[in-house]
Amino acid sequence: MALPSRARSTRLLVVTLVSVSLLTITVDYREGDRGPLAGLGRSALALISPLQEVVSKVTHPVGNFFSTLVSLPSIRAENQRLRTRVAELEAQSATYVSQERRLNELESILNVQQSLGPKVKTLAAEVIANGISNFEWTITIGAGSSSGIAVDMPVVVGSSSGGAMLVGHVVRVAPDSSMVQLVIDPESSVAGRIEPSGDTGLVAGEGAQDMRMGLVDTTASVTAGTDTVVTAGYRIPGVAQGMYPPGILIGTVSRVVQNDAALEKFVTVSPAVDFSSLGIVLVVLSNGSG
Amino acid sequence: MRRTLSLSAVIVTALLLQTTVFADIRLLGARPELMYLITIVFAVLEGPSSGAIAGFSGGMAQDFFLNQPKGITALVLTLLGYAVGMLRQYIVSPSPALPVFLVAGGTFAGVLFYGLVAFLLGQLDTGLLYLLRVSFLSAVYNAILTPLLYPVLRRVAEGSRTRKVIRW
Repeated sequence: MALPSRARSTRLLVVTLVSVSLLTITVDYREGDRGPLAGLGRSALALISPLQEVVSKVTHPVGNFFSTLVSLPSIRAENQRLRTRVAELEAQSATYVSQERRLNELESILNVQQSLGPKVKTLAAEVIANGISNFEWTITIGAGSSSGIAVDMPVVVGSSSGGAMLVGHVVRVAPDSSMVQLVIDPESSVAGRIEPSGDTGLVAGEGAQDMRMGLVDTTASVTAGTDTVVTAGYRIPGVAQGMYPPGILIGTVSRVVQNDAALEKFVTVSPAVDFSSLGIVLVVLSNGSG
Repeated sequence: MRRTLSLSAVIVTALLLQTTVFADIRLLGARPELMYLITIVFAVLEGPSSGAIAGFSGGMAQDFFLNQPKGITALVLTLLGYAVGMLRQYIVSPSPALPVFLVAGGTFAGVLFYGLVAFLLGQLDTGLLYLLRVSFLSAVYNAILTPLLYPVLRRVAEGSRTRKVIRW
């Protein structure tokens, strides 16, 4: 007796609830976003969102931990992808750096060309090889007799301040390449002048060590560290092979060795050019005499 | 009175959990449907009328508090609670895993039904395949959560019931 009545009341309850639901659906549907139901929804939302915020603050780390566990495979894949991307970008950035260096070199070459004046003809050439021997300080450049290069032509690079720095001179020429003897080669000797005193001497290479400048007048006043040595621009027959344009920077005086017994003193000169990182050099075609 | 209070507490807690913790912990992109789970568990424990009431209140709360199209969840959950409660009376299996299966099946059918109603009302923008996928995943998720939440919900239901008996 009780069961059917309970079943009936349950059915009535369900029918009522369903009707209310349907009514809500209909009203909400007809009203859109402006009716009282939507307003009620908005205020309910405003009521619950602070609560949500609080709970979220507490549980978010926990949730993060679990979601990390669940999405571990995809995170690994993403990690892999990002690593690849990083490698790509690093390679790209390395390319940019080397391109920038090349640009700097070319700019300084341009400056040198301008500083040497319009009369002096020059040719830019790329360094394609370094000397193979430990007793020979030479480089090979990618331009030769077909470009007008001849033996004894001076080779310079630009400095950051825009002036020219002496690299060496051409000693051997092939049609499309030539060998340049660096000023630090023991075979090389260049007439140099100490600035600002103006005393002259002969700068000879010493290999990996600083260059040695001899034949300096004992009365000359030389200060180590600040005085610079530039090319003197004249030839000493039979001693200095090249004839460099005057005023090209060779290096800085690093040490003054006074020998009271001798009639000369010598100074050591640290080269201005970093010979280990030569990229593009400038060959002075006019040989300085023109 | 106490029954209403405890049901309200359960519903609000479920809403908060649904929108905070379980918004982060997703199973293959799907969230659990806690309100479905609660409705089904109440229907299993208390019979069709309690199921319907729990479903209606939970559904309405979800619709209003989460700013969904109003009434659809309430309709779906009312019917779901009633149906599961009725079905429960014809099952005599003593298996402790019974609630898990009921929750899984009920959630799947319920979410599908929700999708159908929403579709008929022009509120559903997704395809059938996505709906099936979501129904399946939330059913699995709810089934996983059932062993954790079932004892809690049973304690709440029994607590409110015994007090009522004592007062009576």
